[in-house]
Amino acid sequence: MGRFFISYCHHRHSHPKPEAPALWIQDISASYDLENRPALRNVSLSISRGSSVALVGPNGAGKSTLFKVVSNLVKVSSGEIKIFGQPFGACHHRVVYLPQRSSVDWQFPLSVLDLVLTGRYVYLGWLRSLKKKDYKKAWEALSNLSIENLAHRQIAQLSGGQQQRVLIARALVQDADLLLLDEPLNAVDAQTREIVQRVLNHLKTKGKTTLVATHYFNKEENLYDSAVHLKDGEICTAS
Amino acid sequence: MHGILEPLQYGFIQRALLASMLVGISCSLLGVYVVLRRISNTGHALTHSALPGIVIAFMFGGNLFLGALVATLWTAIMIGFLSKEDKVYEDTATGMMPTIMLALGVLLISSTKSYRDMSSMLFGNILGVTSGDLVMIAVITVFIVGVLILCHKEFQLFCVDKDYARTIGINVDVLRHVLLVLLSLSVVTGIQATGAILTNALLVVPTAAARLVTNRLVPLTITAVTMTMVCCVAGVYCSYYFGLSSGASIVLCCALCFGVCWAFRTVQNKKSML
Repeated sequence: MGRFFISYCHHRHSHPKPEAPALWIQDISASYDLENRPALRNVSLSISRGSSVALVGPNGAGKSTLFKVVSNLVKVSSGEIKIFGQPFGACHHRVVYLPQRSSVDWQFPLSVLDLVLTGRYVYLGWLRSLKKKDYKKAWEALSNLSIENLAHRQIAQLSGGQQQRVLIARALVQDADLLLLDEPLNAVDAQTREIVQRVLNHLKTKGKTTLVATHYFNKEENLYDSAVHLKDGEICTAS
Repeated sequence: MHGILEPLQYGFIQRALLASMLVGISCSLLGVYVVLRRISNTGHALTHSALPGIVIAFMFGGNLFLGALVATLWTAIMIGFLSKEDKVYEDTATGMMPTIMLALGVLLISSTKSYRDMSSMLFGNILGVTSGDLVMIAVITVFIVGVLILCHKEFQLFCVDKDYARTIGINVDVLRHVLLVLLSLSVVTGIQATGAILTNALLVVPTAAARLVTNRLVPLTITAVTMTMVCCVAGVYCSYYFGLSSGASIVLCCALCFGVCWAFRTVQNKKSML
């Protein structure tokens, strides 16, 4: 990380605590500002390191909210979260969230390579610029997703499947240990689906922890070690 | 050549040219973020919010531009505060604040019972830039350029993917406030050149024109900055030779550039369809 590093948040980046689970959630509840109904109610969960877990549930069950809570996009009203045994914020560089509908402005004049490189910003913090090794990591990720030919293309010119692969490439570039993937196989073409599945398997062999929200658990059962079922903002079963 | 050099013998023209180029840099650099974040109404809101600050400064015999600066900064902070965490939509806050500030300005004008001509503040008078104004514009421009260079990657990420910026720990609310404050500062420099009513054109029109000829961020920024500087200088010369309003001349030069870029893009599109 180098001697000169000004982190984006008030916590310094901390190392994981040995033996701590990748994600530990205790009794969290959360709701959106303009809604009275809580989107999550007293959810408790522990995801061990290196596991691949499916988060299953119908629309509105709270899958995306759970991911947003863990990635600091929605605030919890009660409860506690630890990531790799560290308090919230200290290990956020080890978490990456791939949303179902990204907030990316695809019309912004930016190349695919530049967007993928934003995945390295968390390691740079304020005032530092990209280095050769950051570019190397970005090219590796583009190659893993078979999109190195798109590197210099403007993001406005990408198809839906290509956009999904670019966002996964950015997630890989961040080199996170806990990946929260919201319906990564939904509404993508067969080629993208195959590549994403290959990447998920590769992440598993590298010891990364993945929590994947899915509607189609029955079809994808072989991809996961276990499943957590959510309904109406509450956990109903964990298998 | 004589026509270009001849006005330069006058100190007020030298100051006007320097000021216009500095204003061109600060307004167009922020204009890139304004256009790409689709917040051109914010620039409009800030320029219109300067009025009560100007009137209060006039009432107490203070610096009018300092008054404008305080009023626009206050508006920027209020827009940021009201729309924090989307409690009120940003465009709603942007629509509310300038009308409230404008109403306050009108109320204050009527209470002073003064008929002082404020047309230079409303429509700009770059030929009337004093050495003090020039120093203030230079300091503000250096500050804006410095912040934009130091936080370039964060502003870029904020514009392209706000949620991702938040997940990696960037406080996007602070970043939004910083952008609004920088915008207020650039608006104040622009008021000197084109006036409170026309300054938004300097923020929006050159970048909109540049967006028509390039879709890459760095060339877009360079094109917008160059175009604004050229238009500001051309506006000063038009004002000097034809006795026209400097603010209106600058804005119409920008509009001319936009027209040329629009025609270029249209021809390119037709060629690509053949």
